[in-house]
Amino acid sequence: MNALEIENISKSFGDFYAVKNLSFSISKGSIYGLLGPNGAGKTTTIRMVMNIIIPDEGLIKVLGRKMDEKMKERVGYLPEDRGLYPKMKVGEILLFLAELKGIRGVDARKRIDFWLEKLDLADWKLKKVEELSKGMQQKIQFITTVIHQPDLIILDEPFIGLDPVNTKLLKDIMLEIREQGTTIIFSTHRMEQVEMICDDICLINKGKMVLEGNLSHIKNQYGKNTVVLDYDGDAGFINALPEVNKIDDYGKFMEIKMKEQTDTQGFLMKLTEKVRINKFEVKEPTLNAIFIEKVGEKDA
Amino acid sequence: MRKILSVIKREYIQIVRTKGFIIGTILGPVLMASFIVIPVVVSMVSVEKQEQIAVIDSTNEVFVELDKKLDSKLKDGNRRYILEEYRLLDDVDSLREELNRKVLKKELSAYIFIPRDISEGGEAEYVSEHVSDFDKRGNINQALSSVIIGKRLRIEGLDPQEIGKYMRPVKLITKKVTKRGVEKDTGGTFIISYFLVLILYMTLIFYGQIILRGVIEEKSSRVVEIVLSSLKPYQLMAGKILGIAAVGFTQYAIWALFGIVAVKYSGSIITKFFPAAQGFQIPSIPPYIFIYFVLFFILGYFLYATLYATVGSMVNSEKEAQQLVMPVTMFLIVPILLMMFVIRSPNSSLSVVLSIIPFFAPILMLLRVCILLPPFIQVGGSVLILILTTILMIWLTAKIYRVGILMYGKRPGFKEVVKWMKYK
Repeated sequence: MNALEIENISKSFGDFYAVKNLSFSISKGSIYGLLGPNGAGKTTTIRMVMNIIIPDEGLIKVLGRKMDEKMKERVGYLPEDRGLYPKMKVGEILLFLAELKGIRGVDARKRIDFWLEKLDLADWKLKKVEELSKGMQQKIQFITTVIHQPDLIILDEPFIGLDPVNTKLLKDIMLEIREQGTTIIFSTHRMEQVEMICDDICLINKGKMVLEGNLSHIKNQYGKNTVVLDYDGDAGFINALPEVNKIDDYGKFMEIKMKEQTDTQGFLMKLTEKVRINKFEVKEPTLNAIFIEKVGEKDA
Repeated sequence: MRKILSVIKREYIQIVRTKGFIIGTILGPVLMASFIVIPVVVSMVSVEKQEQIAVIDSTNEVFVELDKKLDSKLKDGNRRYILEEYRLLDDVDSLREELNRKVLKKELSAYIFIPRDISEGGEAEYVSEHVSDFDKRGNINQALSSVIIGKRLRIEGLDPQEIGKYMRPVKLITKKVTKRGVEKDTGGTFIISYFLVLILYMTLIFYGQIILRGVIEEKSSRVVEIVLSSLKPYQLMAGKILGIAAVGFTQYAIWALFGIVAVKYSGSIITKFFPAAQGFQIPSIPPYIFIYFVLFFILGYFLYATLYATVGSMVNSEKEAQQLVMPVTMFLIVPILLMMFVIRSPNSSLSVVLSIIPFFAPILMLLRVCILLPPFIQVGGSVLILILTTILMIWLTAKIYRVGILMYGKRPGFKEVVKWMKYK
């Protein structure tokens, strides 16, 4: 049984198609990256999965069943547009949101204390939300997503506004939760994060599917036609070399897409003559490069 | 339903423990009570003291009688006004000059100037530092008038006592006929109706605003989508509206308690301080009026609560809400403006029609019920129309609400809102 099955869903707002004929499925226990540029239809898709808006056409099955209000207790959702009631105390709002997920009484209180402890927020339980920093509020929001031990978690841009320490903290918890068999949908346009944690991905653009499948398979399909270069010196000349298809230059670091059947060894020799090479790696393209290629540079 | 209960509980607790609620709940009856108590207390506390008043009697004929007439006593039994006669010498101006000085030096509290032609329509003068004491001026004016009228009558050879008998005013007693018979009415019904309708009006606006602010807060704090990950938009809306309704009932219950205590004991309190007020009674209100009051509050509340919630869902900030909420508030203000008309002619066909229009019904039909119980067909009809309208409005506004709460950015126009309602 798949954790999520989406069959041919469409949703339009007036004349505007937010999602069109989208289908994909997510196997249980995986971390699934839902990718796409801003306005691609990611949030609309997720809202349809959460039954917050209703698709015009198509079928959505969550954990093998049609989504309804009862099923929401088995799903955790961290929306991109998120916040908390500013005047409520941390403990109260966690209790309220846990109650909405069907967790009550002593059980709820125990879980709240467990998570506050785990995320280093135990001292803030009696403080009002508005007294917390943005990052702390983010962590509280994360707790509301996982407190009911859902079978499926949907995280829309979960790391936005978090410092590296807290990002790592949440990422580790994500992986820990996955170990317990929970399926995670991870929606973002930050490719390096996806590359690090996702098993499968789906790339959508303008409401349509562009690319879907296992992340390493997708990368393999592109073949080892990319050179990652770490260098010192003036690398302006590389652009003119016949082997080069496309360059993404970051100053000290460069991702070069090579033409088909290029002799990378010979290419390296040409480079060593003019610049100092710290690192030279032949590999699959980064997801970022694939994303830009698929979505088109002007949309990305 | 359990989820709606959780929302109700949250709304209730969050509002009930705010300072605004606590202060408002306590201040309400205190304010009401103070309208009754403060004037009583003030009139008791205000220390009346003896006052020296000079009288320039140009006629030389008025002073003695005036002194007899102006015999109000202080609590200790002494005279309130000590009058002192000043004979008019040749120079009026220098005498007045001197008295002016005495008033300013507070040796006199005032002086009265009586012209020679007072009986023929000449104007007397009351000169003092403070001329705003209506009570004192009234006393003096009355006493002086009665003396002068008596003088005039005697000149014509008439007996003032005899004439006084003829001039006795007629008493007009108001009675109200109801199905239970004829009752004496002391104007209490009018005051109570006015009072109840104003309470209804104020609480509808007050709780509407709370709902409006609550919805905007959920939107602007971006908590709404987190909540919607657990329940449907209509459940959130229903929970909020019911939760605030519970707050309203709590407040009413507290006020009613105050009211009952006040009615039960106020009589004895008032008579304790005011032996003269023995027999004073707070006008009794037929219980059916309270039943209708609660009924129209509930119906009006749900109608207006859905409207306020919808407006809240359509805007991003309270500032933006101010313009959009105007039409809703107008629906509440218009019947208040029409109140006087309906009170004067509660059975005119215009009053009947106005009180059946669902948006006006809570206020105007309640008002008519208070003044005279209209035929059942009218009351029942307006209640039925009100219920149907409310159901229709809930159905329509829930469609706007579910889209609106997730929309940020530009405020939607009318066309967009219609489009929202068509979304699946």
